[in-house]
Amino acid sequence: MSVFIEAVIRVVIAFGFLLTTVLLLVWVERKFVSRLQNRIGPTRAGPFGILQTLADGLKSFFKEGITPDRADVWLYLAAPVIAVVTALLMFLVIPIGAPIEINGTTYSLAAMDIDVGLLYILAVSSIGVYAITLAGWASGSKYPLLGSVRASAQMISYEAAMGLALVPVVMFSGSLSISAIVESQQGTFFGVVPAWNVVLFPSFVVFLIAGFAETNRAPFDLVEAEQEIVGGYHTEYSGMRFALFFLAEYISVFNISALTTVLFLGGWSGPVFGPTVLQWVLPIFWFLLKTWLIILFFVWVRASLPRMRYDQLMAFGWKKLIPLTLGWIILLSIALGFRNFGAPWA
Amino acid sequence: MSWFADMLGPFRGFAVTLRQLSRPAVTTQYPDEKRVKPERFHGRHVLNRNLDGTEKCIGCELCAAVCPAKCIYVRGADNPPDNPVSEGERFGFVYEINMLRCIFCALCVEACPTEAITMTHLFEMSTTDRTEAIYTKDDLLVERDGTPNHPYPESPLININELRLGDGWMRATSPSGRADYEGVVQWSPSARTGSMPAEVGQSGDISHEETPDG
Amino acid sequence: MTNPPDDVDTLDAQDSEPTESVEDARRTQHDMWVSGTEERLPYSDATNEGAQELLPSSEDPALDIQRGISVDDDFVVPERVVDKERQIINMGPQHPSTHGVLRLHMELEGETVRRVKPIIGYLHTGMEKTAETLSYSQGSTNVTRMDYLAPFHNELVFSLAAEQLLTLEVPERASAIRILMTELNRVASHLLASATMGMDVGAISMMIYGWREREVCLDFFEKVTGLRMNHNYIRVGGVAADLPDGWEDDVMFLIDKVSAGVDEYEELLNENPIFLDRMLGVGVLTPAEVKQFGITGPVARASGVDWDLRKVAPYCGIEQYEFDVPLGRHGDSFDRYKIRIDEIRQSLRIAKQVVESMPLGDYRSLDAKVTPPPRARIDESMEALIHHFKLFTEGVNIPPGTAYQAVEGPRGEVGAYIVSKGGPKPWRLRWRAPSFAVIQALPAMMTDSLIADVIAALASTDPVLGDVDR
Ligand code: SF4
Ligand code: SF4
Repeated sequence: MSVFIEAVIRVVIAFGFLLTTVLLLVWVERKFVSRLQNRIGPTRAGPFGILQTLADGLKSFFKEGITPDRADVWLYLAAPVIAVVTALLMFLVIPIGAPIEINGTTYSLAAMDIDVGLLYILAVSSIGVYAITLAGWASGSKYPLLGSVRASAQMISYEAAMGLALVPVVMFSGSLSISAIVESQQGTFFGVVPAWNVVLFPSFVVFLIAGFAETNRAPFDLVEAEQEIVGGYHTEYSGMRFALFFLAEYISVFNISALTTVLFLGGWSGPVFGPTVLQWVLPIFWFLLKTWLIILFFVWVRASLPRMRYDQLMAFGWKKLIPLTLGWIILLSIALGFRNFGAPWA
Repeated sequence: MSWFADMLGPFRGFAVTLRQLSRPAVTTQYPDEKRVKPERFHGRHVLNRNLDGTEKCIGCELCAAVCPAKCIYVRGADNPPDNPVSEGERFGFVYEINMLRCIFCALCVEACPTEAITMTHLFEMSTTDRTEAIYTKDDLLVERDGTPNHPYPESPLININELRLGDGWMRATSPSGRADYEGVVQWSPSARTGSMPAEVGQSGDISHEETPDG
Repeated sequence: MTNPPDDVDTLDAQDSEPTESVEDARRTQHDMWVSGTEERLPYSDATNEGAQELLPSSEDPALDIQRGISVDDDFVVPERVVDKERQIINMGPQHPSTHGVLRLHMELEGETVRRVKPIIGYLHTGMEKTAETLSYSQGSTNVTRMDYLAPFHNELVFSLAAEQLLTLEVPERASAIRILMTELNRVASHLLASATMGMDVGAISMMIYGWREREVCLDFFEKVTGLRMNHNYIRVGGVAADLPDGWEDDVMFLIDKVSAGVDEYEELLNENPIFLDRMLGVGVLTPAEVKQFGITGPVARASGVDWDLRKVAPYCGIEQYEFDVPLGRHGDSFDRYKIRIDEIRQSLRIAKQVVESMPLGDYRSLDAKVTPPPRARIDESMEALIHHFKLFTEGVNIPPGTAYQAVEGPRGEVGAYIVSKGGPKPWRLRWRAPSFAVIQALPAMMTDSLIADVIAALASTDPVLGDVDR
């Protein structure tokens, strides 16, 4: 029983943390992108407009949710829920800080520290594609259909690139458990450079790019390209259902940033000192700092780049990213082979 | 190093967006801060009075005739001899402007021979009722001491003081293209704004042979 | 006259040998799919669809109903008709990037646009007819609203046509002011075109930056005319008011701001690979097509057609000023963007020369039958008072005859054709709208391209639907 209660507490805390972060995230994005564009962004709701997201959410909550005549009602209603649930689930395996030891028991700071964390993440994010595909299909309307076709193609191809980009990480760290991957990045190379997986630079870049595509962010936002296909898959959604899609997108942004942090930037690793409490808090701080920097990078990219075209996007994914990662995997396995078994000529 | 610059080419855009962080935002936080409007701004009309409190409008209907949107309705009446309302023989007995039709072209201002109708810097006139958009003489005419009227009370949006500014377009079009008449006051003072100076114009180089007085 | 600034680079390809540029290299690089590589339809085939919709395309009427080409409310689509290949989609009139209320009736095969029919008229307000009820004095309030992004050009061409009938010479200063305002208007319009073009390909920052600089232009317009748009400033016989005190500083400030801004746009977009991929080789118009459709302005010049009314048929003494006409080679969206950016620089160059050489003197014709008297004269002279009354009630009387006058607007040749039977109002006013010609060329540009290309091509032609529909 106590295992069950612990799990519930962990999940509730994780979701609470995630939702608060997303509220903040939307605000930070709007503020930062407006600064990049000489604007000032939201200012009215709360100090510096920090409550703007909450206000928007409340507004959507009280708006009428319209169901189109030709919609496939059940799928239409299910799609936003799937989107949010998968986005939330993905976060569960990400550790936000170093394990804490209380009374001799070690508690991991991931809601669910499973051994095949990476596989879990890939699995959950593939289910996320269904939400968008179904949303477009079930709306019974043409623009959403175009959007969902784009989405399926885009997410499936970039899923592949993302999966391949993770292989070197696994090879390098020797584990599929996310906590173990972070652990393996503690320490330093030559005593100075932190031993982060970012040394797997090609994987890092490909993972980031695929991350943009997975979250449908600019320059890969052609799934919801407003100027072309109005709203893409969520054209027909209104009120809270639209807000759920919106929420899911921002949760994914946070997830991808957090993943990048744990997989490539050493997760919670960073200088830790002082009393026990500080020893607990500092890793969380380092983790959040790195994650937020990546989020700001996401926003910066969005402000600086135009949107790609559908065929260019596919060509980029299949003809550039995937061959690149494959080549990199081969190169890395040779290098690792040398390291582990010695060079054949030696 | 040119190959290095070439390689950076695709990323130069990132520097442009980042550079904006050091610049001030261009947003004006309306209505908390209102931008300074130029002198010639075309805002809400007012009907002016002379310094002695008589109305400037002589009911000549020129403004109504020239209005391309046909939104001014004027009916003149003879001045009562014992207590004249205006300086001339007649005065504007009914004066209405339909602000929904008005395109703020300021042709009425140019047409008015007595500078009775001029434009101010106030443009906050939104309403929820169409009938309220027809401004009557009560709304348009300033008080005897020059205090302007407005159908809506002062609010964060509406700054009644803006109704005291303006007349720039009337002053700018007064010379009507004659260099000789630039920089010359060609209008009588009004109770609302007092004696307004003329724009400097290009007068420095043009001699004023026949300088008419105000 | 000043020497041209060194930094003004033009796309002048007529006399220089074309060199392989970064963009050219990219043009040939499209490996997956390029608009227009398939065989081009003859322009007549691309445009001979129905009047306000696509023509039915198949033998089976049920198929057309299913696709949405023809409408029949009671019709039930039979099961046997299953058209898996194509669908009809209506882009607009309510669509985020149709530049107003253009409606594109498109037949799609997957994401590929197979047929396009632009449908116009959603902004029709009968302005040409309205012009018949307004006198020449009031007329510019009407025409200025047609192409609402180039109000000064509209007013100018209307006034020039009326002056042509009056055989009226306007003072030099009036002409110089007109040139200054129209060239700055060109700058403002091109800034907006670049901004919306950036937005339509997803470069949201470009939109804000373009608007930022345009605001500087509009502030100057407001200072001069009291209005940001639809100014009613250029009148028959001259301009309504002199430039305000300190205008030289304002113009120089504007030139500095806009030049800096334009440099920034080029830095942001010119070398951006995504932008280049979206723009190069998209929406191509050949010089022959340009001539067939009667396209003028930057769109024509991007295709290499050297036609600029400021050089070919100068007006208002614009021939005194030094400027170049940038030309493109490929007629694609990128060249159109580049031409606009270069034209902004050239217009600023003209504006600078105007500031340096502004003549003094009157700025409105002194003809008492055209220009009202100065305010001071009304009180002094009975004759002046009568003229004032006549001009503001009746308006300017224009002798019978017809006149056509064209100027180079930001979108091409803006033309006014006035038929006068005498009296103060035109008997008929006909407007030549540059955007109209471009709209009719859309099918030729868009057929067999992707949806994303449709948007990029449409944005690069910068149509103003107010001008098309009038
Ligand atoms: S500003 Fe123009 S439209 Fe408005 S009342 Fe005056 S003349 Fe009529
Ligand atoms: S406002 Fe001026 S133009 Fe209009 S009726 Fe009065 S005096 Fe005449």
